[in-house]
Amino acid sequence: MNNKQTNYLQLIYRLAIGLITLWFLSIIWPYISNVILMLVFAFLFTTVLLSSVDALERKISHRGLSVLTVVIILIGGIGIFIGSFISQISQQAAEFSNRIDKDTLTSEFKIIGENLTESMPSFLQNIISSNEDMAGKLSELINTVIGSLASMASAVGNFMFIATMVFIFTIILLAEYHVFRKSLVNIIPNKYFELGIKLIYNIEKSVSSYLRGQFLSAASVAAMSVAGLLLLNIFGANLTLTFFIGIIAGLANLIPLVGPFVGMVPAILIAFMNNLGNDIALTHTLFGVIPSPFFILDIILMFLIVQQIEGNLITPTLVGKSVGLHPIIVMIALLIGGTILGPLGMLFAVPAAGVLKVILSEIAFVRKNAHLL
Amino acid sequence: MKSAKWENIFKGWDHSESKTVVTLKQVPVFKNFSNKEFLELEKLIHHRQYNIGDFIFKNRAPGEGMYIIMQGSVKITIGTRNNNENILAELEEGDFFGELALFDDEARSANAIATNDSQLLGFFTQDLMSLQGRNPVLGQKILFNLGGVLGERLRGTNRLLINSQSSTKE
Repeated sequence: MNNKQTNYLQLIYRLAIGLITLWFLSIIWPYISNVILMLVFAFLFTTVLLSSVDALERKISHRGLSVLTVVIILIGGIGIFIGSFISQISQQAAEFSNRIDKDTLTSEFKIIGENLTESMPSFLQNIISSNEDMAGKLSELINTVIGSLASMASAVGNFMFIATMVFIFTIILLAEYHVFRKSLVNIIPNKYFELGIKLIYNIEKSVSSYLRGQFLSAASVAAMSVAGLLLLNIFGANLTLTFFIGIIAGLANLIPLVGPFVGMVPAILIAFMNNLGNDIALTHTLFGVIPSPFFILDIILMFLIVQQIEGNLITPTLVGKSVGLHPIIVMIALLIGGTILGPLGMLFAVPAAGVLKVILSEIAFVRKNAHLL
Repeated sequence: MKSAKWENIFKGWDHSESKTVVTLKQVPVFKNFSNKEFLELEKLIHHRQYNIGDFIFKNRAPGEGMYIIMQGSVKITIGTRNNNENILAELEEGDFFGELALFDDEARSANAIATNDSQLLGFFTQDLMSLQGRNPVLGQKILFNLGGVLGERLRGTNRLLINSQSSTKE
């Protein structure tokens, strides 16, 4: 009786502690959510870079130096990419604004509107009231895009701060990774100690192989997209910035299901900008049958082919094996992640599901062998 | 006041060894190590605290690595209940056990129970693997020494086998 009572008291006590912790977390969450996000990103970068740092340490047998070398190479690469990207973009924009003044733009839009309406079935023509409307809507759209670019500039400052912090966290985590893991291992109680070590190792392995698979598939998409865009250029698509479009498509591809469509947008924009006022491009037809102004359908078809190759040949061999999740589970995880955190949640949903799967299978193993503990 | 920075600067000059390193030096698995290598090894070693009667590991549980007794004592037994417990070995400070788990995924073949409040050093497969990746020379030394220890054990077992065979023949 007495024993039961203490159990009750213990339960109530634990519940109260749990509730207070939850309440406290909900209060401080807005202040710490950014920091936690930074730490998660730093941890992901660490997992990706760890093997290269370890490999370099084997060669030069100095941890700090190898961390520094890897990070400098990475930062240099990103810096060169962003720098040349910005300079080329501004060059492109300057050339574009020199070539096209506002009147030509509007008249061009008018022609496109006419062409589009002509090629539409008659019932759709009735819905769209006039060609003028179409041109107006298009230039409105362009204005909104330019407007949102300005608000993006203010977000860049915030982003730079987060990026710097992530960068610092990553360096510390990389340099102290093995010490860090050791102190994590040290807090495991004796009873679950060996199991805990195994669990941490399995999680590490699953996350890093998943991330590496993702980056490999992104790289393959980037390479194939560049090749495809260059191929389209042979047919007169007049695309510039092919290298950057390819890399953006590869990065967007990291978000399953939705990302591939995002990757098409810059290519279509560039095709549109470069071929404005070019009659050949305007009247271009795909396979000589389907009208495809500014090669838009060609570009979409090319990206679809790239995605089919990536989705059916490359990812199953690189990513599918490493996490080993059923496609339905992947979709459900994506939906949940997207609902909770938006695009960022989608990016993390599948690795999180993979980690959960490893933990659950290890727990199942423990339950099966519970008599051993 | 001792600041961490000054401690770091003079780390290389400090010749007094920690108790961990002193214990590690008694273990044949880490034979022929330089002082620098012992410091490297010390970073990987896990410190574990066990009370008297605590299981360090149980028979048939999945094994992950070896333990070295820094303080206290440990008995290796077979049989779960106290009354039919069969003590295989009683180990003292500086002794080590469980090294077979560094090589295979097999389950433990005996229980290890602390017979005193003990402080153990743990060295595990994953640490050995990661060391092998980062510092192959050190990893190779450990593997070579482990091979030597296991060879020694096998020779001992062979001797016992020959003795028992010759005694049954007589």
